[in-house]
Parts: sequence; structure tokens; C-alpha cells
Amino acid sequence: MKAYLTLVVAGIAALIALPFVFSQGLVNAAIQMLIAALFASAYNLLCGQAGMLSFGHAAYFGVGAFATVHAMNGVGGSGLLPTPLLPLAGAVCGLAFGGFAGWFATKRTGTYFAMITLAIAELMHSLAPHLKGLFGGEAGVSAMRMPAWGFDFGSATQVYYLTLAWVLISLTLLFLYTKTPMGRLTYGLRENSHRLRFLGYNVHGLGVSVFAISAMFSGIAGGLQVINNESANYVLFDPSLSTAVVLNTYIGGVNVFLGPALGAALMTFFGYAVSDLTRSWLLYQGILFVLVMMYMPTGLAGLFGNAKRLRQQFGIARLAPVFVFAIAGALLLSAGGAFIVEFLQRLFSQEYRAIANLSAGAAMPPIPLFGQTWSPASLTTWFVPAALLVVGGIFAYFSRQRLIAIEHAVDTAMASETIQIASKGNIA
Amino acid sequence: MDQIIVSLLNGIIYGLLLFMVSAGLTLIFGMMGVLNFAHASFYMLGAYFAYTLQGTIGFWAAIVLAPVLVGGIGVVVERFFLRKVHHHGHAHELLLTFGLSFIIAESIKLFFGNYPVDYRVPNALDFSAFTIGGMQYPMYRLLMGGVAIAMFIVIYLLLTRTRVGIVVRSAIYKPHMAEALGHNVPMVFMGVFGVGAALAGLAGAVAGAFYTTNPNMALELGVMVFVVVVVGGLGSLGGAMLSSIIIGIITSLAVGVDASVADLFAYFGAGEWARSIGGLMTLKLSSMSATIPFALMLLILLVRPSGLMGEKA
Repeated sequence: MKAYLTLVVAGIAALIALPFVFSQGLVNAAIQMLIAALFASAYNLLCGQAGMLSFGHAAYFGVGAFATVHAMNGVGGSGLLPTPLLPLAGAVCGLAFGGFAGWFATKRTGTYFAMITLAIAELMHSLAPHLKGLFGGEAGVSAMRMPAWGFDFGSATQVYYLTLAWVLISLTLLFLYTKTPMGRLTYGLRENSHRLRFLGYNVHGLGVSVFAISAMFSGIAGGLQVINNESANYVLFDPSLSTAVVLNTYIGGVNVFLGPALGAALMTFFGYAVSDLTRSWLLYQGILFVLVMMYMPTGLAGLFGNAKRLRQQFGIARLAPVFVFAIAGALLLSAGGAFIVEFLQRLFSQEYRAIANLSAGAAMPPIPLFGQTWSPASLTTWFVPAALLVVGGIFAYFSRQRLIAIEHAVDTAMASETIQIASKGNIA
Repeated sequence: MDQIIVSLLNGIIYGLLLFMVSAGLTLIFGMMGVLNFAHASFYMLGAYFAYTLQGTIGFWAAIVLAPVLVGGIGVVVERFFLRKVHHHGHAHELLLTFGLSFIIAESIKLFFGNYPVDYRVPNALDFSAFTIGGMQYPMYRLLMGGVAIAMFIVIYLLLTRTRVGIVVRSAIYKPHMAEALGHNVPMVFMGVFGVGAALAGLAGAVAGAFYTTNPNMALELGVMVFVVVVVGGLGSLGGAMLSSIIIGIITSLAVGVDASVADLFAYFGAGEWARSIGGLMTLKLSSMSATIPFALMLLILLVRPSGLMGEKA
């Protein structure tokens, strides 16, 4: 617990120091990461802690965003509230709309719940462009950040600190919520809602409250997004935003409080860094998600937790080869996968087809990739990724076998110890 | 009047297409309790496979072969993906298919680019069937409707009149009992999943030539298919048919209606007041045609959660 706290304090210190170290572009990316982290944590309250899988959380993000943009334009353009308090407008509208939508959605559970949230989000998405007065039509609504409290909010750094403050406060509140009696009941909703009902709790009321609170924090995230962009558009209701938050949350891991925030920040940074390099970064995101679902159901945070548990159980010395092989295997597999995806993407791109058509009849022109040129017809081109994948697979397999062997060895040692103790007892 | 008949026909045929895609989905849900988010992706794959194949083996052969290939992919998805996460629970399976739909859409973009491909009705089928009030009605639309109706009859007979149908239905309602009686239930699941995927693939192969074949077609249809399945009742084939046609007709007719809620209020002398409110009140029904199915679905879920013809809730 103490180590965890130290880690969090160090993380916060690093976040505060960030604008002094990095360029404005990266500060902008960091703002996006913080907003995504808050959105994912708000989503996780509903999905991970209360066990209600929502497929339409963009609706509450969008409502918060539009509430904030209207608050910014309120009172003749000078703002309903001072700029630092504007996300409160998002919070209030998110809470209200979340309470309303949640009242309907939480009447059902499981798949039906997911379907209702999806329907509500689609309803918003298809209505928003037609309601010009409220959502500004296709063009959206724009606003200006007004100076307040001695800050002019003209630079990305000031917006960053504002976002950071809001995200830290919100995450703290969300964390403290899990410690309250109601927070514990939220877990009960996930584990066994029937039992809660028999114990006399108002399960529907509890569900609506959790839904509304989750929507409220999503609304804050939407409000922060608007303060950063100074505009809002009906695209905020797009299903892809709802999709992204589900992917981020599960990649991060739903069982650990900071897991979704970690996942969202990492995936947003991944998108920022990789979307310039490749067109297929959404494909990587999808593959990563499916791999996490299949092999690491507890997400990245769960992976760290597992590694820690293993280290405590068996000691670092015995596990070092396992970890080395696992990491090497993962690196090789991702290198091979990335090679194939990138190569195929270039091979099937329109530009390449145009070039190939120009020199019709001749051999297919080579493709530049990773600082080298590869001919699609040559065997080596296909051998490289195949070798990477095979060797990576062998490493992964070996790491797994090694882990099983260690666990087995410890089990037998413990068993024989028990037998010895038992036999000694007999003699005595 | 002619206008109404044409849009009614268009609506029915769009509804039949929706049924083709949702039939497999509702079967899979009824059986395994998994709402397959990747189902509309199978529809898209069918269209793309048929587009790729028709260049080499001709249109008809492509329409036959594409669903078979999609069915094969469905079998692989069930055997090597879904079955592996089965013990983590339904939410996990749902999320897995969700991830797969993502991968399929992005892979299509990788191979075919992020724009519509040139998949069109062959010249031999591109003629008009009849003329209504000066408007020629394309034959191919009738063909799509015919394929869907034929499919409905075949599945219905297969499920109710054959031995295979008995095993499948028993595996849907009492999987443990079916297993105890010596039927290979996992195999049945795999088969139904494959057939369901193939049906969606067939729909894609047939409809892709008429509507546009682009990487977003799964997204466009995907949510609508859920609406159909939920409104009809999860797991009910007849319900899927009924709700597809209702939704098809409603969306198709609503496009032609140029009235708003305010006009309704005007009948009671409150038109001015409603117009002064604006917003939802003055929104034309024609611009809300995409919204109506979702409103219908919400209504059904709240009033009759088991759907129009569903049994389990």
C-alpha cells in the first residue's frame, strides 16, 4: 500500500513537471491523455465496479461538452461561470441526463442494458445534427476561453494545469467513492444484485445513482475537452467515442482503480505517436484489445499485479528467465505482426497499385519499409516476418512452460514438506 | 399514391434484407446467449468476398462461394476465439466479438482502402421489372426480396421439419439435456455460428451489389440489426422477420412525410404554441427517419422487454 502511494505521488509530481520538460505539442497530447483517463475512469465506475456494460457512453461525454460550450457562451459571451469552474456545467448536465437515461437503462440488466445504452446514444447521435438551436447543426458551436482569476488561458500550459487539476480532483473523488458504503454496494451490484434486493436495498435506485455519477464524471471530461478545443460538434456523439472508451478501459484493466486511466492514457499516447507513422493504428488497437480479452482478461494493470504476485511467491531469481523470455517473445511477435500489417498496407495501397500498373508486365516494384526496400515477390520478404513470429512464439511458449515448471516444483516441494512433517508426527 | 406504393415496396425489401442479416444473429443469440457484435461484419465480408470473386468466377458463383467462405470464418471465430473466453462469462464474449468487428473493419480498410469499391449489379440483371406511374422498378430489388423469403422458408423448414432442426432447437432451450442425450452441443454451436455467419455473408453478397460496398457498411447496418433482433424478440426467427419488415416500412415511409409534431398540435389549435417552442416540436418527420427505429427499440425494451415474439426475457 505504501509503495502504491509513493508511486501515485511520484506520478502526480511528474505530471506537474511535464510542461517544463516537453514541447507544446506533447503538452496538447497530455491534455488529451488526461481527459481520456478521466473518461475511462468514469466509465469504469459503471462498467468495472457496478458490472453494467454500457455501449453508449459518448452520449454523456457529449452532453457535458455541449453544456460547457453553452456555459462558455452564456451571459453575452462572458461565460456563465469563471473559466476554471466551467466543467461544473458539464457535471450538472451529465448528472441530470445520466439520471434520466439511467432510470430507463437500469430497468434491465445484462445484454438488454447494453442495448438500451446503445439505443440512447444512437438516438442522440441521429437527433443532434437536426437540432440546430442546441447542437449547432453540422458546424457545431464554438466559444472562447475567457480570462479568469488572473489567468488568461491563452497557452496550452495553462489549459493543461486546469485539466490536470480537474482530473486529479475527479479521480480522487471517484476513488473516495469506492470507499464509501455506497461504493461498496456498487460492487455488490456487480457481484450479486439479487442478494442486495433481498437484503432490502433499492437496487434500481442504486443503479440509477451509479449511472448518474458515472455520467457526471463523463460530463466533466466532455467539459474539459471543450475548454481545450473551444468548440463542440455533434461528432462528439459518434459511436467511435463510445467504442474507444470501452477498448481503453478493458485494455487498462477493470479490476484495478487506476487501470482504465492507465489504459486510456497509454492508448491515447499510442494514437498520438503512431497515427503519424502508420495509417493502420486502429487495427493495432483492435488486435491489442482482442489479445487482451483472450490472454489477459484482467488487462495491463492485471498483468502488473500478476507479475508482482509471482515475484513475491517465487522470488525474482527464479522468475528472471520467465520474464526475459516473455518480454522477448512479446517484442518479437509484435515486430513480426507490425511488419506484416505495414507491408500489406503498402502493398495494397492505391499509390502502390498505380505504380505497379505503370510498369505492368515487369516485376513488382520493391516497397520501402523500415529503412530498407523489400520486393513482394522475393522469398526473404516473407521469411523475415515469419521468422520473427515463429521465434517469438517459441519464446512465449518457453516462458509459459518455464512458469508451469516453477509452479509445479514449488507445489511438489510443499507437498513433500507436508508429508515429512506428517510422518515425523507419526513417529513422535 | 404511386409514390407510396414504391416506398412501401422499397421498405419491405429493405426489411427483408435486414431479416437476412438478423436471422443468423437471432439464432446465435437464442442458442449461446451471446450477442455477436461482429455479425454485421460478416455481412460486410460477404459483400467484399463476392466483389473480389466475381471478377474471376462470375457473379452467380461468387454469390454462392462468398457465404461459404464467410461461414468458414464464422466457424473459426467460434472455435478459436469465442470458445476460449467462454468461461469468463457473457460480457467477455460480447467484448471479444466487439473487438473482432473492429479488426474486420480495419482489415477491410487495409486491403481495399477507405472508400467504396466498384461492386455493381451485373448487366444481365440490370433491368426494370415493371413500371408504376412512370417509375421503373428495378428487377434486382425483387431478386433480393426473393432470396430473403426463400431463406426464411428454408431455415424455417430446416428448424421445424428435420432431425437437425430438432437437435438445434433442443440445444437452444436445454443445452445440458441435449448433451446428456449424446448430442455434441459444442459442435452444434459451431455449426449454428457458421451458418449464421454464412447467412449474413449471403445477405452482404446479394445486397452489396445494389447498395454501396464500403468499409462502413457494417457500422451502418450493425446497430439497425440489433434493433431488429431486440424488437422482434431475441432468439425468435419469426419475430426477426416481423420487426425487420416493420422497421423497413417505417423508415422508408417516414422519409416521404413532411410533417412535424407541431402540425399534430395544430389540429388541436396549439400549432402556434408548439412552433414557438421549436426544437423537437418543429423537426420534420422526414429528417427523423433514422431516429425512429431507436425510439421504437427503447419503447419495446421498456414496455415488452422480451420483444414482439420473444419467449425468454
